[in-house]
Amino acid sequence: MTQPLLDRTPFFVADGLSKRFGATRVLDGVGFSIPEKSVVSFVGENGAGKSTLFNILSGVVEPDAGTMTLGGKPYRPRHYGDAIGVGVSRVFQEQALVRNIPVYENLLLGQDDGFYRAGQFVDRAAMIAAAQRIADEAGIDVDVRRRTGSYDFSRRQSIEIARACLAPSILGDIAQPLVLLDEPTSALDQRDEDAFFRLVAKVRQRGSLIFVSHRLSEVLSVSDVIYVLKDGALVARLEAGEADERILHSLMVGRERVADYYFEQRQKVTDAQPVAVEVAGLSSPGAYEDISLSIRAGEIVGIGGLLDSGKSRLGKGIAGVEPPATGTVALVGQSPVHPEIGAFIRAGLGYVPAERLVEGIIPSQKLSWNFSLASADLFSNRLGLWRCQAEVEAASRFIGSLAIRSGSPNQPLSKLSGGNQQKVVLARWLQRQPDVLVLDNPTRGVDAGAKEEIYRVIRDLTDRGVAILLITDELLELIGLSNRILILQRGRIAAEFAAPADTKPSERELVAAMLSVPDEPGPHGAAAISTSDPVQYSESAHA
Amino acid sequence: MTDIARSPGFSRPRLQLPALELDVKLLLPLLVVAVLIAFFSVTTESFATLRNFSTIAGQAGTLLIVCLGATFVILMGSIDLSVGAIVLLVGALTVTVLNLTGIGVWVLPLAALFGAVLGLLNGSVYALSGIQSFVVTLGSLSIFSGVALQLLQGRAIQFSDAAFENLAIGQLIPSLPNIALCGLVAWGVSVLIASRTRFGRYMYLIGGGEQVARTAGVPVRRYKIYAFALSGLLAGLGAALAVARLGAAGPSLGSDLLLNSLAAIVVGGTSLAGGSGGPHRTLIGVLIIAILDNGLNLLGVSSYTQMIIKGAVVIAAVVASRVELRNAVVK
Repeated sequence: MTQPLLDRTPFFVADGLSKRFGATRVLDGVGFSIPEKSVVSFVGENGAGKSTLFNILSGVVEPDAGTMTLGGKPYRPRHYGDAIGVGVSRVFQEQALVRNIPVYENLLLGQDDGFYRAGQFVDRAAMIAAAQRIADEAGIDVDVRRRTGSYDFSRRQSIEIARACLAPSILGDIAQPLVLLDEPTSALDQRDEDAFFRLVAKVRQRGSLIFVSHRLSEVLSVSDVIYVLKDGALVARLEAGEADERILHSLMVGRERVADYYFEQRQKVTDAQPVAVEVAGLSSPGAYEDISLSIRAGEIVGIGGLLDSGKSRLGKGIAGVEPPATGTVALVGQSPVHPEIGAFIRAGLGYVPAERLVEGIIPSQKLSWNFSLASADLFSNRLGLWRCQAEVEAASRFIGSLAIRSGSPNQPLSKLSGGNQQKVVLARWLQRQPDVLVLDNPTRGVDAGAKEEIYRVIRDLTDRGVAILLITDELLELIGLSNRILILQRGRIAAEFAAPADTKPSERELVAAMLSVPDEPGPHGAAAISTSDPVQYSESAHA
Repeated sequence: MTDIARSPGFSRPRLQLPALELDVKLLLPLLVVAVLIAFFSVTTESFATLRNFSTIAGQAGTLLIVCLGATFVILMGSIDLSVGAIVLLVGALTVTVLNLTGIGVWVLPLAALFGAVLGLLNGSVYALSGIQSFVVTLGSLSIFSGVALQLLQGRAIQFSDAAFENLAIGQLIPSLPNIALCGLVAWGVSVLIASRTRFGRYMYLIGGGEQVARTAGVPVRRYKIYAFALSGLLAGLGAALAVARLGAAGPSLGSDLLLNSLAAIVVGGTSLAGGSGGPHRTLIGVLIIAILDNGLNLLGVSSYTQMIIKGAVVIAAVVASRVELRNAVVK
């Protein structure tokens, strides 16, 4: 720890930051320091803890343990407002701009105390002047009097970045800002991206920036220091000169893969099995494009990709939860149809969503109700009378067979752990003896023991000839369970890997496929945006 | 009235739902009923008489029937502000049909049908447009009222049909007006629907987690329409019985139902957030509101003051249910 950069005074220091959510440890004793006037990046897989770290730094989440100091003073924000007050600002992944107000109001949002005269009257001219200064300084070409929503996504992202970077120092009395940027460039087109990097250079003359991005080449070009996060812990600290993409890849992944954990010896060769699902030409604008794939009976097809790859949306499209714009899905022995979840469930499909608490379960309601949620056809008769007795008996059977601990049919599901809640979701579909299951992150927020049990259930299902589409952020799970792996990049299938039990692809190969630059621009690519941009340009010039 | 409170039907849901959970949650509303009865018995001479209890039962009948339907809608996480207007419009239609055709008691199923059609309109606009239910039903409240007042020409229209009137004011069971008996029957059926049918279960599921239900293939949109249709049907039934009880339909019919129905449902303990409560609890809420109305009248409290008191009661009930909810999470 005696690299030349550290000769500069550490501006921000974190020590032993830890955070748990239920049984899952998201951050484990993370400590790092940020030198004055520097750019520090964090890289890591999905779920490595980057977002939680940002949430802690910006006061959105409080750490369970650990300390932070900013400019030599203890720093412990309770909410985002505390962070802003001392000059820590953040660009969120989802845009936090109000679309129906002029750009200048957005640029000054939360920093507008200085613009009131006699208490209530707004000094609009002064606001516009200040906002224009921010926009000019940031080098973005906007008319601050125009409605924010009239600019395209990329330009709005630039506005938000400019606000986070410059508002604290231009408007407030913050001498040294600390700016947190979470995947800032993923939505920027080329011109705005250039402006962004000029802005980074400018902010760096005053304060520091923390940067999270999946684009490793970008990380390498802007950072002074790179930290690698893996499974909630820091595994490496690299100076700008000593890293390259290959080194970062291997540091980000490279875990021990235990074949037994995924019951790989039970994986079967399914080439001779009949096709159970045939997906043809599925498209949903802005999410995925022209996806065709097929899954054989007893086969597990895994889908991997970054958060913006559209893999979750694809799962919803195939299951018919969010029907796609075009394309068809054919289930075993049926003709291809436009997917619709209600009809598909009756035809033998099941869908386990990724967001358990929002889409998977109703925590306040009973276990048995959550269990029978999708099976009104099984638990009510033709008159619509509910067979409560049969429902409770069936739920009890699954509590036994899936070892749902501390569960009873009449208990609200909120009293169970994440793993046991997820088993109830699985039981919901097992009850229906499906032919096809779409699983979106089936072990998210589940402890290791319950994970293994869920993996066993998945293998049992394939033994019975169930075709499974497995969408997951966990690389090891993807590799360990799948017969075949598809990598999605910006809504298109970028690569396909065979993954037979004896020759599984490595994490490195998959990550490289997720990050590689595609040959043709995707739906968000530069080509798509540049057509609309000149129009934007001339409009603002004449306004 | 004490007969109603202790009728065997009252304990029926206890057999179907976990006993302990229900008892704790019902304790507060039951306590309020007891306190109100005790208070009015002491402060007025005429409250604690069989005759007065019979009056309360007669007054509460329509409110109960209307509230039952609205309870399903609230259980589902939506709201039906138009029930009072449906009562007014169906009431006006009922007297008109009676006077034109003289079909007598057969106007009752017809009124239920009218109500169901109006509810169906509400539900279809709500479910198909995706506009919030309070906006849709606020609009239909005005539309239905306007149509009804045109029909009535702003006057009360009377009718004379003894058999039809007997549906409401006769006493099959001594001291219990038939309208209250109808209310209790409707209550029993509603409790059964809520706890024992697919429709009832879906109401709880949609109210507890609409997105979860939709993700699991529940036809959410269709059942939203059904719920509003049921709410309209029961409001229509309540309207016909109210008309039978009053012997006329006037412009003020159902005007107090908007506040009273919301008050009764919320005070009974059905959460405005949806997913918890149910028609079994609405009976207690209706009792509380009916006793409050009757007792305050006997005390000579002005109707303006009563409005203030009832508004405060609704807000207090929502606050109380929130406190309860928070405790439940902490536990």
